[in-house]
Amino acid sequence: MFPFPLPCIATRLATEKLPRHASAVNFLFRLPLRVAVVLVAWACVACNSAPATPPGYVVVGLENGPLTLDPRFATDATAAQIGDLLFDGLTRVDRQSRRLPHLAASWDTPDDRTYVFHLQPGFRFADGQPVTATDVQATYDSVRDARSQSPKRQALEPIEAVDVLDPLTVRFRLREPFAPFMEETGLGTLSARQIATAPTRPLVTPLGSGPFHLTEFSLDERVVAARNDTYPLGRPRLAGVIFKVVPDAVTRLLELRRGSLDLVQNGIEPDALGWVRQQSDLLVLTSPGTTFQYIGINLQDSPLNDVRVRRAIAHGIDRDAIVATILKGLATVATGLLPPTHWAYNPHVTTYAYNPKRAKVLLDRAGYPDPDGDGPRPRFHLSYKTTTVELRRRIGEVLQEQLAQIGIALDIRSYEWATFYNDIRKGNFQLYSLAWVGIEDPDIYFQTCHSSQVPPLGNNRGYFHEDTIDQLTEAARHTADVDERRRLYAEVQRRVAQLLPVIPLWWTTNVAVMNRRLQGYEIHPNASYVSLRTAWIEER
Amino acid sequence: MVMRRYLLSRLFLAVPTVFGVVTLVFLLIHLVPGDPVDVMLGETARAADKVRLRHQLGLDRPLPIQYARYLRRLARADLGRSLHSGRPVRRMIVARYPATLELAAGALFFAVLLAAPLGIAAAARPNSLLDALCRGGALVGAALPNFWLGPLLILMFAIAVEWAPVSGRDGLAHLVLPALTLGMGMAAVLIRMLRATLLERLGDDYIRTARAKGASEPRVVLTHALRNAVLPVVTVLGLQAGGLLAGAIITETVFAWPGIGRLTLLAIQTRDYPLVQGCMLVIALTYVLINLCTDLLYGAIDPRLRTRQ
Repeated sequence: MFPFPLPCIATRLATEKLPRHASAVNFLFRLPLRVAVVLVAWACVACNSAPATPPGYVVVGLENGPLTLDPRFATDATAAQIGDLLFDGLTRVDRQSRRLPHLAASWDTPDDRTYVFHLQPGFRFADGQPVTATDVQATYDSVRDARSQSPKRQALEPIEAVDVLDPLTVRFRLREPFAPFMEETGLGTLSARQIATAPTRPLVTPLGSGPFHLTEFSLDERVVAARNDTYPLGRPRLAGVIFKVVPDAVTRLLELRRGSLDLVQNGIEPDALGWVRQQSDLLVLTSPGTTFQYIGINLQDSPLNDVRVRRAIAHGIDRDAIVATILKGLATVATGLLPPTHWAYNPHVTTYAYNPKRAKVLLDRAGYPDPDGDGPRPRFHLSYKTTTVELRRRIGEVLQEQLAQIGIALDIRSYEWATFYNDIRKGNFQLYSLAWVGIEDPDIYFQTCHSSQVPPLGNNRGYFHEDTIDQLTEAARHTADVDERRRLYAEVQRRVAQLLPVIPLWWTTNVAVMNRRLQGYEIHPNASYVSLRTAWIEER
Repeated sequence: MVMRRYLLSRLFLAVPTVFGVVTLVFLLIHLVPGDPVDVMLGETARAADKVRLRHQLGLDRPLPIQYARYLRRLARADLGRSLHSGRPVRRMIVARYPATLELAAGALFFAVLLAAPLGIAAAARPNSLLDALCRGGALVGAALPNFWLGPLLILMFAIAVEWAPVSGRDGLAHLVLPALTLGMGMAAVLIRMLRATLLERLGDDYIRTARAKGASEPRVVLTHALRNAVLPVVTVLGLQAGGLLAGAIITETVFAWPGIGRLTLLAIQTRDYPLVQGCMLVIALTYVLINLCTDLLYGAIDPRLRTRQ
């Protein structure tokens, strides 16, 4: 069939001594092949220097890696979730978002501007040095330093001074009574000696005193932490944890299937969970989360400055249907910023069930009648900004379809994250969709609804202004009485639900998919990996 | 001597290319929306803190002055520090660049390994079943997007038979699937290119003469026809090899391969100016280097090109 057998070509290419004029063949095949072989061999040597998974370690898959792990500078959710394993704050947060003793065994409040923390002995940094009040002071002072590039500096603004009373006692003096201060006591403690080496810049491998010690941090690749055998709150049962960045959702799924990842939390698409549940060696855990998804509204814009229009939009969105279909039930329809597990949650607020008829009536009353009844012409157009994430765009398309039913034409505009966020910060939007992650203190209502908190100072991105809410949120942040705060925030939640500065969508359910050999893992509401401290591997 | 002059002229031409890329990247990254200071300090930071940090980073200076400072630092091989991690950019790139080179080398290896025998065999026997299979296979290979081919190969070789790991970079076995994914498109183009140019040469008079003189068919194809068919293939090879760097971003994402493509993407997403500029500079330099090698190959393959210089 062929003028010469095919293997002959290969053989000749490899072995035949070609005449001088055949240098072209050399250049096309032999030379590149030899270069490639050398490069691959070099790659082989280079690659093989990387270690395999050590025994007793679990491998956790991450969608995004942290940009920095230094608790003074880390602001991304992943860094916070991993940080709980590496660093110890004075206090820790429980499932109801209350502050509990941690590095500090207890604290006193001699007056409403002073907090004295008594440290537990026995905590040691990775270099073996004990954790003292001086380290706590150095950590907070380095964030408060005027030269610091820390994004947390503003949050520590209420602190007037941090004083060391003795090696295990540290005192915080505030400029004025400020209840949300306790949220800042979760800041991971660093060694004063290490801080001195980089007072204003992030440390690449910060030394902590947590249940695991950081041993390797490769940006956007992996974080490796080894067990801290001297951890005073209990020696972890795992030898260590490897956080591996696997950006692609399908690859994460296949890694789990293969067994090369042991745990992926909130990193599997809802569509894939049906398949995951059929795999005998994988286990799916779900737990209510604190991430609040909402539609932001520009209240300076007509017709959105009319509360009837905002209520009509809220009635026009079938959130139950979106949760059931697109999110596969992995969310709970939200009534406000605070989730039902939160200590200050008020369930008795106005809710907006899907009711297109009611929505149409509200729009009619607001002066936006439907120009052609059931015809194609809308009452008005609105733009809706979102990111390029596929799930967000799909949700946008459903919202577009649902709002079209009540006569609102939604123009979806999806942008790359930095551009999208820049527009939101500048008020360059009508509607947008975003989420609040890691809500702890109810002072979030001050930051998002108080009239003083409009950009660039705060997060009141829609320019909402209501005097009563201003007074309530101010009063709530200046009283330390928990019952009084609960009462004030209950009223704030009630009024916010009536006035709708944002339209609540849902609280996202946390989903962990894990190998059945990983035992004892529990999902924390804020998706922290802290329970890896008590988890273990069951070899089968 | 002629070759040295040729090399120097190509190097001289590479300088404005790199300079142009550096300038363009600098301008573009400063023009797109998104403020790195907002990303670093958070949106609620005080205006005074933002002003101070902007001053510390030199971002409050006019763009031409920032550019001049950037070039001055560049002349000292100082790429600055990442705005977010605080690490030296040069060190970050050095840590990631070998991974991309490995991936590109592996892809090149697979591409040439597949394309050379298949392209020659298809041209040696045009319109045969093998030719049809090669052409069809090349078409499919060129049409398959990496984000689809990658998971497909994982399913076949990492899940179904467990011959290769799924993702990451922990040994040579980890290189096989991403290299195959990245090299497949290149192989497809090379097969089609090689077949077409070789077929054209095999119809020339000098080939008929060689056959009439009794040269064996392999000798006719491999030594006489192939030599003249190589030049356009080398051009494509050079362009494709450069494209491996840019195209590697998707493959690196699918296979969690810690290369410079993903680092560039991360830098752009977080508006990390020094890191974006550093990554783009290295990618541009690699492009220029590959094109330089391609030019030199031309000269080596075709002596007429050398003497024309």
